Amino acid sequence: MRKLLIWLVTAAGMAMMLTACGGNPVEQAMRDAMVQKDTTQARFDSIASMIKAGKERYKEFLTPEGDIDYAALGALADEVGSRLRPPMHWNIAAYGVRSLSLTVYFERSGSMVPYDTPGGRGQLKKAVNDLINFFPAHDASHVNINIVNDNIYPYQGSIDTFLQDRNIYASTAGMGNASFTDFQKIFNAILTAQRPDNVSVLVTDLIYSPADTKNVSIDKIFNEENSLATSIFKNYKGKSIIVNQLMGDYHGKYYPYNGQPFNFNGQRPFYIIVIADSKVMDAMAANADFKNFMNPNGVRNSYRFNQGGSNVDYAIVPDWKDNAGRFRVAHGKEGTLTNCQGDRNTGVLCFSMAVDMTALHKDDATLCNPANYTVQSLTGFKLAVKPITHDMFTGNNKAYLEGKTHLLTLTGDYKGPRDQIALTLRNELPAWIAQSTATDDTRPSGNAFATTTLGLAPFMQGIYDAFTVGGNYFSLTLTLEN
Amino acid sequence: MKHLVYLITGIVLTIVFFVLASSSGFSIYERLYYSQGFNDALYNHNMYPTMALITIAITWGAAAIYYYVINSVKFDRWYHWLAVAAIVTLLVPIVCYAYNDAVFARNGLGYIAESIVFQLQNLLWTPLLFIIASFAMRWWSSNCRHTPIPQ
Repeated sequence: MRKLLIWLVTAAGMAMMLTACGGNPVEQAMRDAMVQKDTTQARFDSIASMIKAGKERYKEFLTPEGDIDYAALGALADEVGSRLRPPMHWNIAAYGVRSLSLTVYFERSGSMVPYDTPGGRGQLKKAVNDLINFFPAHDASHVNINIVNDNIYPYQGSIDTFLQDRNIYASTAGMGNASFTDFQKIFNAILTAQRPDNVSVLVTDLIYSPADTKNVSIDKIFNEENSLATSIFKNYKGKSIIVNQLMGDYHGKYYPYNGQPFNFNGQRPFYIIVIADSKVMDAMAANADFKNFMNPNGVRNSYRFNQGGSNVDYAIVPDWKDNAGRFRVAHGKEGTLTNCQGDRNTGVLCFSMAVDMTALHKDDATLCNPANYTVQSLTGFKLAVKPITHDMFTGNNKAYLEGKTHLLTLTGDYKGPRDQIALTLRNELPAWIAQSTATDDTRPSGNAFATTTLGLAPFMQGIYDAFTVGGNYFSLTLTLEN
Repeated sequence: MKHLVYLITGIVLTIVFFVLASSSGFSIYERLYYSQGFNDALYNHNMYPTMALITIAITWGAAAIYYYVINSVKFDRWYHWLAVAAIVTLLVPIVCYAYNDAVFARNGLGYIAESIVFQLQNLLWTPLLFIIASFAMRWWSSNCRHTPIPQ
């Protein structure tokens, strides 16, 4: 009998110990990484090594070829993350984009040459060099450089020659016809040549300069440009395009659309256009390896075309200085607050949520402006947004703020018994595009010439219309109950 | 046979305690005390099952020591058993608090006041489990099987 007693107690104890220690080691490792907020490439690599070391045991996380199955691991990460408080997300799919190649298209039209004269500071060349250097696989087999104007011409030198070239326009003189830029040919060629594992970068001043514009009205040119952009991009719905605006020293002759060329010495905008499949763009935006490539130094303004709605990771912060009234986050029902009650004295219910908006790839001017959001609720909640900074962290709120980028605070005179808050960040063409657009470039006087590009808005609007799917960058629905 | 039923019932009740303490949807720990940030941290660091296991190990271990190691006629009165119960009731919250504090300190978390208040509920669970363990295993003790209530 004593043996039976010992056996029963031991068996029950072992079962409980196994439960307490967690089950699948891969699942436990993922849980630990998320709880410790260490969802890094290094941590992922250690989990991948564990899986590869136990190929038989963990075959559900390997492809038939023995490689890591990012989709299966991503599904496990989603499952583990959804069981945590607050629910967490680890974008495992982002690690599957390491073997991308880069194709650089360097515009060599007449109005581009003055950006890289020996007397200038060379911001344009520096920006292109940075893009190549910050691309994770920047060896000769992964990077391809082309010169573009009336057509696309392969660059004859090596990557090192390109990086060290102090006057790229002098060394590429004679390639193609620099007197006009055929956007239709260039964009069509780029978009057609692009494979799913390829990222294209076009360095351009984005000035539409077709042949024979003498005595053609500017409105006609703009309309033509607008239609051209739509007609090109509407055929490539799966692509995503980021337009980065930068400023560079310009010393030399400028060719207006309908007038005499003149010399200009000062700064002028130029553009780095990144083109890739939408899924690749999403993955690059979420992958730390591509951080510098996706956020080049010196970018003044930026906009991504054809950006679908994203699922953003968020956590309602239970202990926050601005909180007013009472609420409790319901576990297992994401986005539901129970026990909601306005403040006893003021009737105000105020709560904050930490949101990770990294993957949206938007600047703070866009993300922190409440006017860019739509908030719908019976109570009439008002929104305030601020970036999360390190001085906000305390030991107790670290679990909620870490890994998140912005704090969204909702304040309203909540009466109950229930309410639903629909929060969206709208995807609209940003104001900087209109502000950076010139309708006349025949006179260099005034500040406008130095900060604007002829016909930028019609071209951008044309791309925007080609991809118009309406929609929002993200949407959240919160349910409040008494 | 009757004694075996006591033993199995004791094990089943203990397992039920462990399951209810570890469950994410219905944790008996959270039913008695809830402070969101604090309880989320306990849950995320998988501390509910560990604390339940500590409670079970100490209560069952203490009962085993009392009935089978001490197992003395000089220590077989109800107040001797009660003394052991009292010691265990104080020991479990202290050990659980120390464990809680060590995990929180390692992860840079505070919640000292919440941790202390949370452990007060072990003043309820510990004697309960000690009674369950005592009634499950006392029957095979040569000197203390009539403690605390002769049967």
